Formats: sequence, structure tokens, C-alpha cells
Amino acid sequence: MSNITLPRFQHIIGSGIVAAVGASVCYISYTQQPSEAFLFPRLIATVFVVLALWTFVKACLGWTKVGNGISLTQFKNLAPGLIIALIYIFWAAKGLGFYTATSIAFFILLSLYDPAPHRVLKSWVKRIITTACFMAVMYGLFALLLKVYTPREIFF
Amino acid sequence: MKTLLAGAAIALMGLTQTAAADGHANYPERPIMMMVSYGAGGATDFQARIVTMTSGNEDALGMPIAILNKPGAGGRVGWNWLAGQAEADGYTLGAYNVPHFIAQSIKGGVEYSTASFEPIANWGADPAVLVVGKDSEFNTLQDVVDFAKANPGKLTTSGAGLFVGHHIAALQMEKAGDMKMAYIPTKGGGAAAMKAVIAGDVMAGINNLSDAFRAAQAGNVKILAVADLERNEFLPDVPTMMESGLAVDNASVNFRGVMVPKGTPQGIIDKLAATVPTMFENSRVAGKMKAGGSPMHVMNRDEVLAMWAAREETLKELLAGL
Amino acid sequence: MRLIRQLLQAAQFRRFLLKIPGAPANIATTLDGHAMALNGEGAKALQLSFLSSAVGGVFGVLLLIFLTPVLAQWALAFGPSHLFWLAILGVTVIGSLDSASVVKGLLSGCIGLWLATIGFDDIMGAQRFIFHPSLGGGINIIAALIGLFAIPQVITMFAKGHKNDGTEAIQVQKHPIKSAVSELLRYKRAMGIGTITGSIIGLIPGVGGQIAGLVAYDQSKKFSPDKDKFGTGHPEGLIAAESANNAMVGPSLVPLLTLSIPGSPTAAVLLGGLLIHGIFPGTDLFDNHPDVAWTFINSMLIGQILMCIFGLYVAGMAARVAQVPQSMMAAIVLGLAVFGSYSVQSSMGDVYVMASLGVMMYFLERFGFSAAPLVLGLILGPIAESNFIQGSMIATATDGLAPYFFTGPLNLFLIAVVVLSVLYSGYMELRARRYTSKEEIMG
Repeated sequence: MSNITLPRFQHIIGSGIVAAVGASVCYISYTQQPSEAFLFPRLIATVFVVLALWTFVKACLGWTKVGNGISLTQFKNLAPGLIIALIYIFWAAKGLGFYTATSIAFFILLSLYDPAPHRVLKSWVKRIITTACFMAVMYGLFALLLKVYTPREIFF
Repeated sequence: MKTLLAGAAIALMGLTQTAAADGHANYPERPIMMMVSYGAGGATDFQARIVTMTSGNEDALGMPIAILNKPGAGGRVGWNWLAGQAEADGYTLGAYNVPHFIAQSIKGGVEYSTASFEPIANWGADPAVLVVGKDSEFNTLQDVVDFAKANPGKLTTSGAGLFVGHHIAALQMEKAGDMKMAYIPTKGGGAAAMKAVIAGDVMAGINNLSDAFRAAQAGNVKILAVADLERNEFLPDVPTMMESGLAVDNASVNFRGVMVPKGTPQGIIDKLAATVPTMFENSRVAGKMKAGGSPMHVMNRDEVLAMWAAREETLKELLAGL
Repeated sequence: MRLIRQLLQAAQFRRFLLKIPGAPANIATTLDGHAMALNGEGAKALQLSFLSSAVGGVFGVLLLIFLTPVLAQWALAFGPSHLFWLAILGVTVIGSLDSASVVKGLLSGCIGLWLATIGFDDIMGAQRFIFHPSLGGGINIIAALIGLFAIPQVITMFAKGHKNDGTEAIQVQKHPIKSAVSELLRYKRAMGIGTITGSIIGLIPGVGGQIAGLVAYDQSKKFSPDKDKFGTGHPEGLIAAESANNAMVGPSLVPLLTLSIPGSPTAAVLLGGLLIHGIFPGTDLFDNHPDVAWTFINSMLIGQILMCIFGLYVAGMAARVAQVPQSMMAAIVLGLAVFGSYSVQSSMGDVYVMASLGVMMYFLERFGFSAAPLVLGLILGPIAESNFIQGSMIATATDGLAPYFFTGPLNLFLIAVVVLSVLYSGYMELRARRYTSKEEIMG
């Protein structure tokens, strides 16, 4: 109990959230109607909540092997990528059209995580070419070959 | 960004207006999508693919129809989507199954009713039949009725879900014969219900004529009766339930056809209603449907509207007690 | 006619090298396949998988040819109560899939089972746990798979930042086909377990091949002396899973060809194809249309072998996918995930579900939960539920709940296996705890 490290703290929070979800699932399945339709969910939810509470208690007491968690550097690294990805998926894909949004997101992610220097013109040209190639492949695959009609808004 | 979006919105509105202005004379200008609320490979999906295969011909719509499957919850998922989320632009059609969607809308808990859709045309009518396993001791409908009367609630009868044609047929049988059966809804459509009959998990089953016909051909089941007004051309030797003395009409017959969501421009509805029935009557379509053991029954928009209204009335009465 | 085979095989490349299963049946293979790719053994992993698929597949098709009438009766023996127990067995298998902690493995499985109940209930039509309109249709399994396996990989690549990038590039070792063959001969046990398990599970209508690979993986792990190596790039797990995946294809067509019951979604599509040509599959298929039946079966056999040769040929090249820089890989996988999950049903809702599950899974994985049991729960949930409901309805109408679910040799056998599996999981858990508490003291 004494030395609460960052991974262990995260572990307690994580298993706490899982336990909370389990409890609310359990509550919903025992209160919603019609009860015939919730027979099986009740069965699952009961096991779910027992296992989740067990995990949570074990996490608090420090009985379990804790995973590596997420270090501060890792979090700083992933945050911008994750934010871009979420904006892309939950807003831009529909709002701007699939192909426009994907090109923009692809280019931004490439610029963020590409090790090539940002001050050199050549690496920017390379990024633009990569993006264009990727989009051409995607268009060929989904629009021409599989004939999927994706949401289109501004350009294509 | 805001101005960009506003510009896009205006451009889009402009597009819709020009489309409306020409009275849909050019419709369809791109491929059309038809939603089927059952999985790929099921009877509805299989028939929908056949009846729409000539849509690209010049004398039909001139554009192909692509099938989009949205299965789940006995069709509710797909029809909810068509009523609530699909665009009513004439490029999104849907396949209907009567009595399923009407019964579901009467029962409640869904976002559609007959008023949410506009029928285009009907292509098929698949009556429900009563089947038993090949080794079953039941040989006639009377045997089944006698057993059910002697053992109330013991006759296990499989069917593809609640508030579908099979369930309606079971309810009608119970009412007509003044008996109680144990209706076992299965998940996964007619195939799972049929498997239960063949394997002997249940004593009897109510299934689609087309599926039962195949199973009977293979020698796995006996078909005892058809829940329709007259005998079916595929099964000339099988009596209707009425002939066997059980007053069950054709309310459970599974009518399949095409509809569009409410709000689709009238010009497009008229064009589809004029073209689609002739597309169904194409000889290639009829040949494939017959080969697949699927009974055809083409009806135009006015006939379907009348059929929907009649069905809704019967079902309201039948389901009132439930 | 070779469609099934090709679909299964085409999924192969994408999945190991990136730990993204292409088809639901492939989850088990990724467990060790991805680890092997990380060890630089991508080419070897692909070769082994193609070889073991071919062996399993050929065996399955031979079963289909010689034993169809007998097997048909066997397939029918599984009624609702048996299928329910079989699904429960799958759930207990979940426990030992996750080596970090059995309780967390089971808990992940429970989360999966719960996610499977989201949406309209199939029999009653009641709305369950629909918090957002895009959940009305339930969670699409393909979208969920893409999210649960691909998105955590993407975020993991983000987490590495751009500095470590160059050093992470994986060297792909060349691997001669001859040594892959001898490797395969060395793991005869895994091969046998995979092939037999796959054939048996493939027969059962409704369960299909989705769990064949996982059950075979689990079984060969239990019988193997090198249990601890599973999940770290051990060829045995890969061989068992892959041979089972393909051994199941032949037998899964038995119910279709003899009883006209499609046992899996793929078989249902195949039924449609046969019907369009006016062919009714059934007991008389071999009498009335022997040409069609035999052409079909032979083409499966030839397809199996051709795919193996083709696969071996391209394995060396395909393994290079892992050499694309991570920064680019993350963006490519993200784009493919969005387009892929959208195109399943042309639905934005599936994309949202994919992303939400994926982000959730990344964080859960950090705390020792794993995606495989969750997915197994998601797949088995509907099977367990519908058979439970159906079985209990039949039982109440006939001889009562307890006799229906707890008597009969097949029920008792399945229950015995479930109990053994639970006991084994409990034993593993105790051992794991002893191990960790020791570690805690030392730490």
C-alpha cells in the first residue's frame, strides 16, 4: 500500500472505471423491462460485476501484477496523434467528406510523427507525395474496385 | 472554416434544387441502393438480388440496383434505418416484408409504421407452411391439432422470430383451433427454425414455403398444410389449412416487395411505380425465381397500398389480445 | 467456388504483420503470428501458416468427401442445450487465453459478452443498452474487430513519438521453405489437434469456424510442454490455430450439402449461388447433380493447394510490410480502419463504434486486459443467448429446465469439459497470484 507508483495509480483508476461500468450495466439489466429480454444480460452482468469488483479490490490492495501503464512521455507523444485521429473520425470524415478528411489527417499525422527533419523542403515534398500516393491507392481500392459510396462533401 | 461550410451548404442546396426543377426526368443518374433488412443469403436477400438484377437494362431503370444488408432484430434495425436515417432522394430503396414490419409497428418499440414508407411494387408471396420431421408421427394437420388440444402448451413449434409471418400463422392456428401451442422463436431466420425441425429439437415448425419445399425435396421434412387461401403451384398435393378444417386465412403470407421512405419526391415514386413491376415480370427474373423455388406474385403500387391497409386491420385485431 | 478459401487466405497477410485479423476466424493466429513478425520471423510465420492451412484444409475437404452422410447426423446431434454448453465452454477458454491474469481474461470476456447484447434483442425486439442511435443495430463484429485490434496498434505507434522511429525498424529474416516444412513436421501434435478440433467444430451449425482457431489454440496450449512460450511467437500456437481455421471449411459445408441448412454466413451466400442455378442442395445433391457437387468439392481441394503455393511464393515479399516506417504505418492503418469499417454496411455508426472500442481497448490493454477474450465474448454472446432462450422455452414446454440442460451423454460430456476448464483456470490463477506476490515482495 505504501509506495503508490504511477502505473499502480492508473491501474486503480482503470479497474475502478471498469467496475463502475459493470455496476451500471448490472443496474440497468435488473431494472429495465421487459424482463424476458434482459434475462441473459442479467446473467452476464452479475458475473461481470463480481469479477470487476474483485479486480478493483485487488488493484487497491496491490495484489495484481500491474501492467506498464502509460508513462508521461508516452502520453505526451500519443496525445496529439490521438486528438487528430478523434477529430478526423468523429467530425471531419463526415463533415468534409471521406477523401478530403483522410488526406488532411494523413498529412498531419505524417508531419507529426515522421522522423525526417521539418526544416528541409525535401522532406515536405516527400510527405506530400506519400499522401497523394496513399490517397490514390485508397480511391482505387474503395471507389473503383469495391464501389463503396463514401460521404462526399467539399471536393470528393 | 465557417464560410467554407456555408458555401458548401449553399452549393448543396443549389444541387438539390436543380434536381427538383427538371421533374426528375433524368432519374436515375447514378446507381441505386436497396436496403434488405435481413442477412446475405437469406430468402429475402436472395430474391431481392434476383428481381433487381435486370434493373440496369435500358427498358428498366437504366441503372443497377445494389443490395445493402442491414440485418438485426427480425428486420427492425433495417426498417428503423430506412424510416429514420436513410435519405429520401429516390436513391435509397428498401425491401419490405409484410406482415413483419406491420406487426412490429403495431406491437410498438420501433420508429416506423405503414405511414413511414411508400410502397412501389410487390414481387413475391411466400406462404407459411406447417412442417414436421420426416420421422414424425404426425401425418396430417388434424393429427397436430389433436395433439395440441390434448396437451395444451406442449406442442413445441419453431418459427423465425416473434411478430413475423410464422408467428402470425401460429397465433391464427391457436385461435382457429382453440388450442395452445408452444411457439419457439429462433434467431437467424428460417434456416435455424428448419434445423430445429429436422434435428428433432421441436415437434413441428412453421416455415417459408420456399425453404420447406427444398427441405421436403431433400426428404428431410413432411409438409402438412399451407396457410394460404389456395394451394400453391409448388406443392399441388399439400392442402390449405382451411381445407383441413382450420380457419386460417392468408394473413401470414410473407409478401415481399420494394418501398421507399416517406418524403421521396412524388415524381420519382411515380416513375419507379411505373417501371419496377415490369422489371419484375422480365422472363429471366421469373425463370431464376422458379429455379430457386421462390413463388412470385407481382402487384402494382395501388394493389400494395390496399394490401397494406387490409393487413394492418387484420393484424391489429389478432395482436390486440397479446 | 473457391471464394471461401480465397477470402480466408487473403485475410492472412494483413493480419499477422499488423496484428489485425482480416476475418473473425483469424483472431487466434494473430496471437503468435504478430509476435513472430515482431521477432523478425514474419516470412516464417506466413510460410508456416500457409502450410498448416493447406494440411488442415485438405483434411477437412477429404472428410467432406468421404464422410458426408455420417457427419450430417453428427452435426444434427447438437441441439440448443448442447450449443449453449459449447458457447459456455468457449467462455471458459477465454480464461486461459490471457496469460497475464485469468480473472482479467474472464472479465474481458464478460465485457465482450455484454457488448454483444447491445442493440435490439433479436427475439423480443426489446431495446437494450442503446445509448446512442448508431448502436441500434448492435455492434458490428467486423467494425469491432478492426477497432479492437488496429486502433490500439495505431496509438501504440503514436506513443513511441518520432524520435525512436528509426531504431524500431524490423529486420526481416529470410526463411527457406524447406526448413518451414521440417518445422511443421516437428510440431505434429499441434497440427493434429488443430486439424481435428477444426473439423469437429466446423460441423456444428451456427457456431461456424469463428471459434475453431481459438479452441484449437487453447487446446494445443494445454497439451504443450512449452505453455509459457505461447503468445510470444511460438510456432505451435500458430500452426494449431491456422490448421483448425481451414480444417473447418470443408465440414462446415456438410449441413448445407446434405440437409440444406447453411451453417455459417458464408455457407448461406453459397446456398444463394447454388439456388440461382436451380440446384437444391440436399441429400440427393450427389445423386441428381453429381457433376456440380464433385466439381465444387474438387475445386476446393485444388484451391487449397494452389493457395498454399501462391502464399509461399509471396510470403517473402509480403513480410516486408512490417518494414514501412512506423509513422507512415500508423496513418495508413488509421485510414484503412476508417474506410474498412465504413464499407461493411455503409454506415458512419460503425466507424464511431470502431473508434470508441479501439481507444477504450488501448487503455484497457495498458492495464493487463486483452482484446482476444473480449472478441470471443462478442462472437459467442449471441450464440449462447439465443440457444439459452430457445432451450429454456423448449424445456418449459416439455420436460423441465434441469432435465433438458443437464441430462444426456452429450450435455454431460460438455459440462465435464467446462468444469475441467474452470478448474484449470482457477489453478492457473492461484499459480499466477503466488508468482506476483513473490514479485511484489522482491520489488
